Amino acid sequence: MTSKQNIDDSPIDFAEKIIRDVKNSKEEGVLKCVQCGMCTSTCPAARHSNYNPRDIIERVLDGDVSILEDDLIWNCFYCYTCHSVCPVGNSVCEVNQILKQIAISNEIGYDKLYEYMGFADSYFTAAIGAIPEIFFDDIDRDVPGWRDFRNNLGEIRDELELDPPLMPPKEVIDEVSKILTITGFKAKIEKIRQSQEVEK
Amino acid sequence: MRDELKVGVFLCECGGNISDIIDLDEVRASLNVEFIGQFENLCSLNGRKIIRDAIFDHDLDRVVVAACSPISHEKTFQDYVKPLNPYLMDMANIREQCSWVHDDKEKATRKAITLINASIEKVKQSDPVDPIFCQTPDEVAVIGGGIAGMNAALSLAKQGTKVTLIEQSPSIGGHMAKIGKVFSPVKIAEECGMCLLNPILNELVWNENIEVLTNSKVIESERRAGTYNLIVEKSPRYVDTEKCIACGKCAQVCEVEVPDDWNDGLSTRKAIYRPFGQSYPESYVIDMDNCTKCSNCVKVCNMRAIKLRGRPERIPLQVGSIIVATGHKLFDMNKRPEYGYARYDDVITQSELGRITGVNGPTKGKLLKSNGEVPKRVVMIQCVGSRDEKPDGHKYCSKICCTVALKNANIIKHKYPETDVVICYTDVRTPGMFEKYYKHTQENEVRFIRGRPGEVVKKKDHFIVRTEDTLKGEFIEIEADMVVLSTAMEPSEGTREIAEILNIGTTEDGFIKESHPKIKPVATDVQGIFVCGTAQDPKDITESIMQATASASKVAEYNYGGVEIEPFIAEIDKEKCILCGDCISRCKYKSMSIQNDEVYIDPMACTGCGKCLVGCSQKAIHVNGNIDEKIMATIKGVLSKKQEGQRMILVFLDNIGYTAADNIGVNRLSYPESIHIIKVISVNRVRPNHIKYALDNGADGVFIGEFPGDLMYDEVERKVVRMKETLEEFNENPDRIMFSKVYIPYFTGLARKLTDFDKKIEELNL
Repeated sequence: MTSKQNIDDSPIDFAEKIIRDVKNSKEEGVLKCVQCGMCTSTCPAARHSNYNPRDIIERVLDGDVSILEDDLIWNCFYCYTCHSVCPVGNSVCEVNQILKQIAISNEIGYDKLYEYMGFADSYFTAAIGAIPEIFFDDIDRDVPGWRDFRNNLGEIRDELELDPPLMPPKEVIDEVSKILTITGFKAKIEKIRQSQEVEK
Repeated sequence: MRDELKVGVFLCECGGNISDIIDLDEVRASLNVEFIGQFENLCSLNGRKIIRDAIFDHDLDRVVVAACSPISHEKTFQDYVKPLNPYLMDMANIREQCSWVHDDKEKATRKAITLINASIEKVKQSDPVDPIFCQTPDEVAVIGGGIAGMNAALSLAKQGTKVTLIEQSPSIGGHMAKIGKVFSPVKIAEECGMCLLNPILNELVWNENIEVLTNSKVIESERRAGTYNLIVEKSPRYVDTEKCIACGKCAQVCEVEVPDDWNDGLSTRKAIYRPFGQSYPESYVIDMDNCTKCSNCVKVCNMRAIKLRGRPERIPLQVGSIIVATGHKLFDMNKRPEYGYARYDDVITQSELGRITGVNGPTKGKLLKSNGEVPKRVVMIQCVGSRDEKPDGHKYCSKICCTVALKNANIIKHKYPETDVVICYTDVRTPGMFEKYYKHTQENEVRFIRGRPGEVVKKKDHFIVRTEDTLKGEFIEIEADMVVLSTAMEPSEGTREIAEILNIGTTEDGFIKESHPKIKPVATDVQGIFVCGTAQDPKDITESIMQATASASKVAEYNYGGVEIEPFIAEIDKEKCILCGDCISRCKYKSMSIQNDEVYIDPMACTGCGKCLVGCSQKAIHVNGNIDEKIMATIKGVLSKKQEGQRMILVFLDNIGYTAADNIGVNRLSYPESIHIIKVISVNRVRPNHIKYALDNGADGVFIGEFPGDLMYDEVERKVVRMKETLEEFNENPDRIMFSKVYIPYFTGLARKLTDFDKKIEELNL
């Protein structure tokens, strides 16, 4: 495969956009990447899938915006290992979060987000983030006995003489819901949900 | 009269270093002088002609050069203003103290105009004076007995100079003695390091001009009249080097076994030991931290050389110059636990591999794992602690690790062609002829994988090195049974200590800083102190030797050419002087004495601090150079450019503080634009009337910095306290004056103090 760089192309613009993003805490870290691959060598997602953090930065520096539509960016689950090992002070993890935000604002990746809707809903119903039910089977498979543990949590706490879990009171839940509605979070969630449910 | 003097201003762009931040057009438009010109590189030889022509064409009386720091180029421009007297020129430092510390172009430009205006006002107060020439003692102290220090000492000794070589360990030789094999890029072969070192060592030992002090450290230094008075502490060896014949009987009967640091702890030695076979002095030494004083050694020593009692000896040393060759140490692998160095015996450093493959090492040169087997695959990991911005890491490249890895890989391949050697690298740095050696290494079937491993884990009886082969874009796990880490070079403890004792500048990484990294590679920021070897930055043996001989020839220049001294020193009016001796007792620098019924002032000792002036009942002392007037003119020059609402802080620093302030710029740190630094010959010359005038006429704050090692420090501190009290009496806030310690190596601290002071003044102004 060959590629061409035309005289007016400015591939670095993409990286600059990411650097300017409010989420970026590493200043010019992206630009200092020398593709050493230390991030990939410690990345759990890279070990178990084709996700490659070094490659993410390479594509960003190449100005390859098609990365926004690449399913692979959704494989990062923010363990921040790349962030802590990077010898030049870059954070692929943050870059990845910025890429996903750009993708979402371009209405890309709604299907990926749809799975997490239960998580968003729990902020409205309980004012805290809770693991969506659709993941229960996966967790129980990876962590044997987890479902039993969850179902019997009340008894286990009693046995350990722990107080019941502290849950936010109703007025807090109402306030959080109000904030999430005013800030547009609710509308965004609805938009994502509708787009997926219409497709179905 | 002085107001009518014709001043010419020369603005230097410094190839963009200045003009990229400071709008020089604006500067030219804002200053009203006889002549003002702008040039790309004023320090170049062209500059001489430009300046001289302008002096003739415009009949200039005084010159201001607005460029870099006077520390860098004052001498250059003093020369370029000929036929004017060198002291009729002043430099406005708009680089280190303006364009390199500020980003805001508008504010930086305004500050540059202010600094230049201050210089214009100051230079009008200058009178022609002549520098004084002095000769310093020829004797030299070389600190550090590694390959750099040894070569520097030898070069000077061969030129007839008396040298004291001071080494803190029991033997000279340094890292090179334990390195095993060395290679030269041209020969494409490895050869015995000790065989190259030994002739140098022998030559040094037999040279009558060199005295070697081992087990010795410089613990104090004081400079007076161009002479360094050093105190060297020599720890007891407990073995008389004159009597010991190094027969080794003592070590045979010694019952204490401790890890042998010369073998990087891979083998053991006794509490009485000889560091290595060729160590000098050729004598055993007792490691008293581990000795049980059983006296077995004393009993077997036929020479009666051993004494179990001894105390440190303090040796005073007077020298004219010092060469610092205190070297490096290696990165502490406990800072990178992900590579398992502390957990696994077969994860080692390149230095340890050098010992293992060395014929005088723990395995007599055999490449063996801790279980005694030859490894099947050795994986080398590059850039451990180098090129690493993580906490405790070093941002710089340690420069030698690529070639060290290649060398050790080749040594393994020559002896054990069946052992697979893999080098995991980010970039292979083999500039110049070294590239040939890289190709040779590839021909030896050493494998290279481009990727920086993230961790080493143990699985059963072998290691897994996790990395990405970045050229393939594949995550890989490489099985290995020996892992070798190419650790970074960092400044040795001795390097850090000596920088503090001698008060010489260091880089942000803690290496000794050259006075100019490009054109003055062996001079430090203190006159008469030079640096060579890895104390200055990471380098190989060849480069260390080159720098060592360069520093020796700089010392020779100094010894043959003498030293030029600024003429701003005290002078006695013999007609008025009644020889009361008050000044002699006042002078902290002991520069005054009575000789032939006259008060004599040693020009190298006098700093022009002015302390003697205060007590002279006859007003018979005068300090050359209109210092008071110049300080006042500078203050006026700064304040006259103050604009409505602008915060202005005056900072008074002498040469030491000023150098620290320059270092802030050199390292591209920053401080607020309100800070205006005024260089004074001695902080003591800043008088209460200067400060009062400044605060009454627009200065929002005054910051006075003094190096605690300066003999006038206490005096200045007391003076500032008195001034604060006076300020309170006039219902002014004493917090507007700040007194602070300054040190050349702690420029980051100075930047922070200046920033904090600005913030405090901002709050006071509210």
